[in-house]
Amino acid sequence: MLRIGLPLLLLGLLAGCMLPPEPVTETGREVFNLYLVVLALALVVFVGVEGFILYAIVRYRRKPGDDVLPEQHHGNNTIEIIWTAIPTVIVFILFGFSMFTLARVEARSDDPGVRIAVEGFQWQWIFRYEDGPTVTGSAAEPPVLAVPIGEPVRLELETLDVNHAFYVPQFLIKRDLINVPNDLLDNELEFTITEAGTYAGQCAEFCGTAHADMTFVVEAMDRAAYDEYIAAIAAGEDAPGGDTGDCGTTIELAAVESLLYDTDAIEAPAGEDFCIEFTNNDSVPHDVGIIETDYNGDDVAPGESITYVVPAMEAGDYTFYCTLHPQAMVGDLTVTE
Amino acid sequence: MATTTLEPRAGTFSRSWVIDWLTTVDHKKIGILYIVNSFLFFFAAGILALFIRSELAVPGLQFLDQDTYNQAFTMHGTIMIFLFVVPVLAGFGNYIVPLQLGAPDMAFPRINALSFWFLPLGGLLIFSGYLFGGAAAEGWTGYAPLTDDTYAQGVGTDLWIIGLTLVGTASILGSINFIATIFKMRAPGMTLFRMPIFVWTILVTATLIMLATPVLTAGLIALFIDRNYGGSFFDPSVGGNPVLWQHIFWFFGHPEVYIVILPAMGVVSEILPVFSRKPLFGYKAFVFATIGIGLLSWTVWAHHMFTTGAVFLPFFSFMTALIAIPTGIKMFNWLATMWRGKLMFTTAMLFAVGFISMFLIGGISGVMLASPPIDFHVQDTYFVVAHLHYVFFGGSVFGVFAATYYWFPKMFGRKLNEPLGKVHFWLHFIGFNLAFFPMHQLGLSGMPRRISDYAANPEWTILNLVSTVGAFMIAVSVIPFLINVIATFINGEPAGDDPWEGNTLEWATTSPPPPYNFDRLPPIHSERPLFFLTHGHGHAAERPEDLEEEQVHDERPADVERREDPLV
Amino acid sequence: MTTHAEATAREEGKFTPQDHQSGMPTALVGMLLFIASEVMFFGGLFATYFNARATTSGAWGPPEGAHELDIALAGVLTAILVASSFTMQFGVWAIRRGDTGKLKLWTAITLGLGVLFLAGQLYDYSQLGFGVGDGVFGTVFYTLTGFHGAHVFGGAVGLTIVLARAMRGQFSARNHVAVEAVSMYWHFVDVVWIAVFSTIYLLG
Repeated sequence: MLRIGLPLLLLGLLAGCMLPPEPVTETGREVFNLYLVVLALALVVFVGVEGFILYAIVRYRRKPGDDVLPEQHHGNNTIEIIWTAIPTVIVFILFGFSMFTLARVEARSDDPGVRIAVEGFQWQWIFRYEDGPTVTGSAAEPPVLAVPIGEPVRLELETLDVNHAFYVPQFLIKRDLINVPNDLLDNELEFTITEAGTYAGQCAEFCGTAHADMTFVVEAMDRAAYDEYIAAIAAGEDAPGGDTGDCGTTIELAAVESLLYDTDAIEAPAGEDFCIEFTNNDSVPHDVGIIETDYNGDDVAPGESITYVVPAMEAGDYTFYCTLHPQAMVGDLTVTE
Repeated sequence: MATTTLEPRAGTFSRSWVIDWLTTVDHKKIGILYIVNSFLFFFAAGILALFIRSELAVPGLQFLDQDTYNQAFTMHGTIMIFLFVVPVLAGFGNYIVPLQLGAPDMAFPRINALSFWFLPLGGLLIFSGYLFGGAAAEGWTGYAPLTDDTYAQGVGTDLWIIGLTLVGTASILGSINFIATIFKMRAPGMTLFRMPIFVWTILVTATLIMLATPVLTAGLIALFIDRNYGGSFFDPSVGGNPVLWQHIFWFFGHPEVYIVILPAMGVVSEILPVFSRKPLFGYKAFVFATIGIGLLSWTVWAHHMFTTGAVFLPFFSFMTALIAIPTGIKMFNWLATMWRGKLMFTTAMLFAVGFISMFLIGGISGVMLASPPIDFHVQDTYFVVAHLHYVFFGGSVFGVFAATYYWFPKMFGRKLNEPLGKVHFWLHFIGFNLAFFPMHQLGLSGMPRRISDYAANPEWTILNLVSTVGAFMIAVSVIPFLINVIATFINGEPAGDDPWEGNTLEWATTSPPPPYNFDRLPPIHSERPLFFLTHGHGHAAERPEDLEEEQVHDERPADVERREDPLV
Repeated sequence: MTTHAEATAREEGKFTPQDHQSGMPTALVGMLLFIASEVMFFGGLFATYFNARATTSGAWGPPEGAHELDIALAGVLTAILVASSFTMQFGVWAIRRGDTGKLKLWTAITLGLGVLFLAGQLYDYSQLGFGVGDGVFGTVFYTLTGFHGAHVFGGAVGLTIVLARAMRGQFSARNHVAVEAVSMYWHFVDVVWIAVFSTIYLLG
């Protein structure tokens, strides 16, 4: 009993340890099932071969002093053909299953109800909801991708700089954000979520220094809640970044093509909060930071603008810069009484 | 046990051993240089791995900053592949192949030396990035446009490119040497189908190196032009194509991984028969499986690119799955070699059997990755890290250690201490599995690779901690190995010509061999020339054709057996 | 080409002397293998060319404001290089006959033609009006033709060495592997040029 039971138990534990997360999308479930089939086959092979090795180690160990040579088999055509044919069949079966599942994963509906453009950049995400708001993430606050459950959601994936990848482990899928000239490649993902909840996601294509920080969160909710949520963001967008009413002074600053500010010198008053109205007219995200005070404003997506409220500073010469492009985009901030 | 009688050695003029080793063109010395140099880089890259694992043991950035971490895993991968595992196997090839062929040296001894010296030079260039503002930090795969000068500023990446180009050139020259030697310098009687399997694997590997590495060179040069001359190969902002980089890199990169594994498979195929005291089961099938893997390796490269959306998935998925077949054939042949053998568990045999059981796991995870839907989930996660380490480490590195324990006596005339070797093996084996098995689950549950830090959750924390313990255990296992090597040099047990009762020609000369390798060769009528010398003619249960040839040999035939030269 | 002595020697497992080796000389095998690796190198470069051509929209050619490619000049360069392959082969045939004088003559002519090719290539570059940093076409054009030119230069170095050695009387009918090897390399360089010319200039 123990000789069979214990190994089976261990095997069960092993198999239980080797599973993807419980999928929360329809296609994720298909992939999970495919994985189970492959895992089962893998376990059979694993047990068979490792079992043989263990058996051979014990059974065929040379006894000390035994100098008689064992039978010198060179080969056996029959058995060699068999152990070529069987793996070939298994390969074909696995391939067939894979292609079937692949077709389901790659299927696209004619007209998905929800389309969201996902833009990745070093090192955060921008979500542009079709006919809706744009949400830009930052290291301090990874963005939330709100999606309804029960209907197809299509994501259009685009990178603003290097390669990235959109990955949600609980969807059992990822896809690269990658450029090919002339839009010859348009990466998309489509899924239908089956269960409301919060799902973690992050970039899964190494993209530089802060690749590890490029996270996001998926909030899946029923359609009604989704519509409300999106409306709320859209409304809140009209006053981003803080109370403009508090601004005694507002400085206008813009980012322009390519990787430049429209001025390299700005002035601000000392001893009081002041605002920077920042517009990003470049094709990649930018922000405004101040080196000496460690001020780091939120990232702004291309085409968007924001009003930064900068805490009061003492008189002096400072340097403002884009924290995303610190070498290219630098300027002088003079704070005067 | 066969022992040869040496003619009085030819007089050699004396010179300092430093100059001797610096200027040698003797394949045996060059082989040792390759091996020693490779192990030095192994330790360096291993220390980088310890940095990585220390940082990842628990969530939060403890002592590395992100950029240093990224340099660490980039250097770790680049050095391990290009400056350890490929050259160390080339080093064993350099030492052993001419001996196994009954040849006095390689075909081009001076180019052999040049090939070696490019290695420390290239390796130092790659590392020198650390002295000039930071080493390359974009992963050993160097994907564009991350490696373009916009995003990878500083010379670290340029030094990486130049160093790799040098190392690549070295290996191309080396591969030409191996192929020419194997086709032109076999001893009389050694037809291609009587060559040891190790030589066959080196032949196929050399062909892969010769044909694949130049493609990488082209890609590296193109990248250099993009970075330094305003080129538009891969930079999308000026019309270039990042996917093109991936195609070029992986067209090289996939044959590269077979370059890494095939010689190790050859080593296992040498060791298993000797310590099972039976011939390798299915020699011909093995040869064809090796060639089959070599050919198939050209057709699968885009399985590294499944998630780009830019490749034809069914073709690459199918061809990738197909490779399981010749690999399976080898696996079964090895098992059949052990079956009904009389197994002797020397350290070399332990590592060889360890190879089989670990490579199996790596092969299984590879077949899983061949399925695009599964790959969509686990690509670029720790599942891939687990897979690659099971095949590179559980496969090739186990093969390297097996080769070390097996051929050390031939190279240095002394056997490594067996009990210490077993301590090394078990620490290494347990540490290896502790380090890398949990990574399967880390990847399946969604932990991406190449991240300096991860979300704090209990599952990931425990698995990462176990993995780090395993990594340190591997590091500790190196200690008995080093002690063993040093102690054996100082006072090891003399080995004699043929300490293992081997089958192949390297054991038919002294340990170490004289500069010219052989005073006389045994007659070669099979793939185990020494076996017949040792065990005499007319041994029971031999192949009928071998038996015939033995009798023919005894009667001094009228028809001289001609060596087949396929290039005539 | 074996004698009874050699047959006996083989049978007894002793080595046969190098100059009775059968088949292609080892150095030539080495050169052939090296050429194979170079074919793969150029294969990589051609891959970048074709990929660039396939993924670029609009007209495929030199950037705005630069000259069109000079097919006539390229045609002349092709003729020069093809002719040089013939002259190289005449040299090889000469030394196989033992005619060192003709070897020197034909090698010198081949070298001259090679240098002429390089000069023509450089002249072409000077007239084009765009550089390697001027867009996708510029990048792949200069890389492909430039590395080919570099290989012509390497071949020219080889030819110079062969010429120098021939002038020192180091070659004979039985001993001239270096000539054969360099000639193989030179023919390879010519074939690559034909591919480059066809792809860049004819295919367009």
